[in-house]
Amino acid sequence: MNRWRTKREHQIYSSKLFQALCRSRRTSSSTSAKELHQTADRVLAITAKGTSRWSRAILAAPLTAGTNMKKHKKAKVTVHTRLRKPVVNREKKKLPVVERKLKALRRLVPGCRKLSCNNLLEETSDYIAALEMQARAMTAITEFLGRGEAQAPTDRQGSIGNM
Amino acid sequence: QRSTSSNKITDDELNALILRLQTLLPQLDQSRHGRVSAAKVLNEICSYIRRLQKEVDGLSGRLSQCLDSMDLTGFDAEIVRDLLQ
Repeated sequence: MNRWRTKREHQIYSSKLFQALCRSRRTSSSTSAKELHQTADRVLAITAKGTSRWSRAILAAPLTAGTNMKKHKKAKVTVHTRLRKPVVNREKKKLPVVERKLKALRRLVPGCRKLSCNNLLEETSDYIAALEMQARAMTAITEFLGRGEAQAPTDRQGSIGNM
Repeated sequence: QRSTSSNKITDDELNALILRLQTLLPQLDQSRHGRVSAAKVLNEICSYIRRLQKEVDGLSGRLSQCLDSMDLTGFDAEIVRDLLQ
């Protein structure tokens, strides 16, 4: 499976991401790492064109604003012990290792918590390939911008288009 | 026997999944490692995904610092897009 591994896809993602970053820079003076990561994930999901569950899940997730927003945790309601049902199965074993690991995997891949085995495989391999490409692309962009900086360290007015 | 959870899978399904996941991990290349336990493969897969996500975290930090220190006014995104190709 060549998905996410072609040069073309890398270029498409890189340029889409860069344009998105430029756009967001126009509206705010600085970007937090978290916002940037979120943008990178959303552009990655868009590049997937709705063909995978993980990408649809990313696009469906609400945007978290800034770094101050804590993840909203459900308040734990403590029930008065007398009202609580007795613990039924005292011999309840911990889930076997494999089950636990599968559960962990389902949590790592967006949108896959209740996915069947076969579909989980497809989503996992697609997600991993996409993440690998995302890392390659972001590394390339950072190096590229770093090179631009190195060539014009004092002249901040010069645009990279003059390279 | 009624399955207790919707995530219950058969042994065959599990083995097939594990073998195919193993191919995603170059460090567990079958020709060199032969049969690896399901738990280990799943562990490696999860670690790998976490590692990739952390890598992107780091790159996001570097990239945001990089962008913040640059003057992007007058930037022609079209030119850069072409340059990135």
